[in-house]
Amino acid sequence: MSENDILLSIENLGVDFFTEDGIAKAVQDVSLKIRKGKTFALVGESGCGKSVTALSIMRLIPEPPGEIVSGRIIFEGRDLLSLSEKQMRRIRGDKIAMIFQEPMTSLNPVYTVGEQIVEAIELHQKKSAEQAWADAVEMLRRVGIADPQQRVVEYPHQMSGGMRQRVMVAMAISCRPALLIADEPTTALDVTIQAQILDLLDQLQKQIGMSILLITHDLGIVAERADKVAVMYASRIAEIADSESLFTEPLHPYTQGLLKSLPRLGFSDKRLPTILGTVPDPLHFPTGCKFHPRCPIGCNDKRCQTVEPELREVRPGRHVACWYAPGYERPGDR
Amino acid sequence: MQKKPDWGASYGELVWREFFKSKLNAICLIFIVFLFVVAVLAPFLANDKPFVIRIDGRLHFPIFTNLSASDYSVFLAAIVGLTQLLLIRRNRRKIEPSIRSDVLWRQITISISVILIGTISAFIFVPRRLDATDYKAMIASGKASGGIFAPVPYGYGRTDLKSREQPPGREHWLGTDDVGSDVLCRLIHGSRISLSVGFVAVGISSVIGIIIGAILGYFGGGVDFAGMRIVEIMMAVPTFFLIITIVAFFPRSLLNIMVIIGITSWTEDARFIRAEFFRLRRQDFVRAAVSLGLPLRSILFRHMLPNGIAPVLVNATFGIAGAIFIESALSFLGFGVAPPTPSWGQMLSLGVSTTGRFLWWLTLFPGLAIFFTVLTYNLVGEGLRDAIDPRLRKAE
Repeated sequence: MSENDILLSIENLGVDFFTEDGIAKAVQDVSLKIRKGKTFALVGESGCGKSVTALSIMRLIPEPPGEIVSGRIIFEGRDLLSLSEKQMRRIRGDKIAMIFQEPMTSLNPVYTVGEQIVEAIELHQKKSAEQAWADAVEMLRRVGIADPQQRVVEYPHQMSGGMRQRVMVAMAISCRPALLIADEPTTALDVTIQAQILDLLDQLQKQIGMSILLITHDLGIVAERADKVAVMYASRIAEIADSESLFTEPLHPYTQGLLKSLPRLGFSDKRLPTILGTVPDPLHFPTGCKFHPRCPIGCNDKRCQTVEPELREVRPGRHVACWYAPGYERPGDR
Repeated sequence: MQKKPDWGASYGELVWREFFKSKLNAICLIFIVFLFVVAVLAPFLANDKPFVIRIDGRLHFPIFTNLSASDYSVFLAAIVGLTQLLLIRRNRRKIEPSIRSDVLWRQITISISVILIGTISAFIFVPRRLDATDYKAMIASGKASGGIFAPVPYGYGRTDLKSREQPPGREHWLGTDDVGSDVLCRLIHGSRISLSVGFVAVGISSVIGIIIGAILGYFGGGVDFAGMRIVEIMMAVPTFFLIITIVAFFPRSLLNIMVIIGITSWTEDARFIRAEFFRLRRQDFVRAAVSLGLPLRSILFRHMLPNGIAPVLVNATFGIAGAIFIESALSFLGFGVAPPTPSWGQMLSLGVSTTGRFLWWLTLFPGLAIFFTVLTYNLVGEGLRDAIDPRLRKAE
């Protein structure tokens, strides 16, 4: 993996939320690299910090109460965290675009979809109104909306959820961003529409050559679509792997638990196994490895209970944060 | 030739349609339009000067040569406003929707500047005339002939001590007041005062309220805390007494009253907009707008404001009614516009004459005018609220 192949790299990102009950460490020590033209999936349960990571890239963490306390986010050679708000505005929408989870509320109800797409195009690409309008129609056609000439002048309330999400995709790709952040783009849609939207993203990725940061809790999507996967647990990355090797050989006990709890064809007669216990409260994280209270291997291990394992590369392209992962331990650990 | 795309109904159009589903709303709106027509055409409806008169064999047009600068600016504003409405209708058919809002903004800017420049130049260039010629006396004495008068042939400033405190009759349909002025004439001219007080005062208070509320609501935190305390202090002071106190220190002019009502009643609007912006700030489409890199100005006023304007719009109609009411009350108490400028509240206060007689026609007719105006504005406000949020009505 050569260095100029990398579009975005996050280094030791830490985000805290200062709430009335105390400091919630929403993201701790997250490092990852997204390659050009590839899909990177960020997987985890609700509240594990995957959305906060994505919002940090866009610098959209609500401040206060949130604050990015450490780390760097290098995008095209610049640290996004050191940019001024004005410089950041030029990147948002133009270089990095985002799709949100809820298509029903992500479009402004008082403007036609065309007007909303045109505003972004006019802003970033300095095109004339007619040209931007033609572009908007073209974008709607590309995201597979039938009769775009008509649809472009309709209001969001005249469209179904799937169609609105297509419009969101059209708006996000209208300036041909280098990186598209898709924050659970299909969670609110039904299954057939989900597949259509994801196919659409794949297809557009090939056409435009953009990278996608796909945030999801659906491992099924990850297996099909992602090139690389990071599994997050309790505001840290538990494991990073190519999606194939993650599914064939999960290294972290949390990933193993997740994969075991997936339904499989032909094994439907038994109850699905689950991971015991619940996700820890970000205000009161356990000491040591945050997964140890629920971990089948480490729950009684003194070291797991006291020392937090950092993310280490155990073999090329394979990072994990578990004392028991093969090849993890290094001299001087004990 | 490609089939023309069919533009969907905008939010405004939906509200408009919903509003007109109720007959009462339509009637109230027609009444308000009627009031406007009366106010604009007041000099032609009630005037002691004739439209045309022949004096010594030559035709004169006293009404037109005696129009004041404010009459001219009112006509100008009315004509520009009407043109604006016609242009908007025409735009709907002719202009491509994609550039319609740009065209609309350009037209509004031009209209406002035309009105402003026109008003200022009217006040500079139209001479103040005081034509005290009594044309009726001239006709009676045979000096002039062929006079065509307005439907109510009396001036609002003209005194006629011979016909003081007359009850309604054939000569004076609604009677006369203590100096012999015709009540109907003063009512017609008074509608200008009431409507302009309502609109200007509410315009001032809405603009102040929207700007302050938007800033408090969008930024939140410390700004919001400090701002809200100021708003609360403003709210704790009884507005009416504050207005009376302030009015006592300034000359009794219409402009002063409008400005004072405006700058003391913005707190409601600020609180509405602040609450709406708090809600909208967390909405996905606002976050999506931010994530598209749109500038703050566009996010605040293009994306958030139109979604949060509804309560302010409804409040504005109630506010107009309230301002008319406050102006009447001030005039009733003697703090309002100075006579002979007619005001409904001031006419009410003449109901008990200096001789102690109760002149019922001076109380009833201005009272009814105030009552119906305030009532229709309140009903329109309520209709608007229901149209904007039909769920409210169904819940009843």
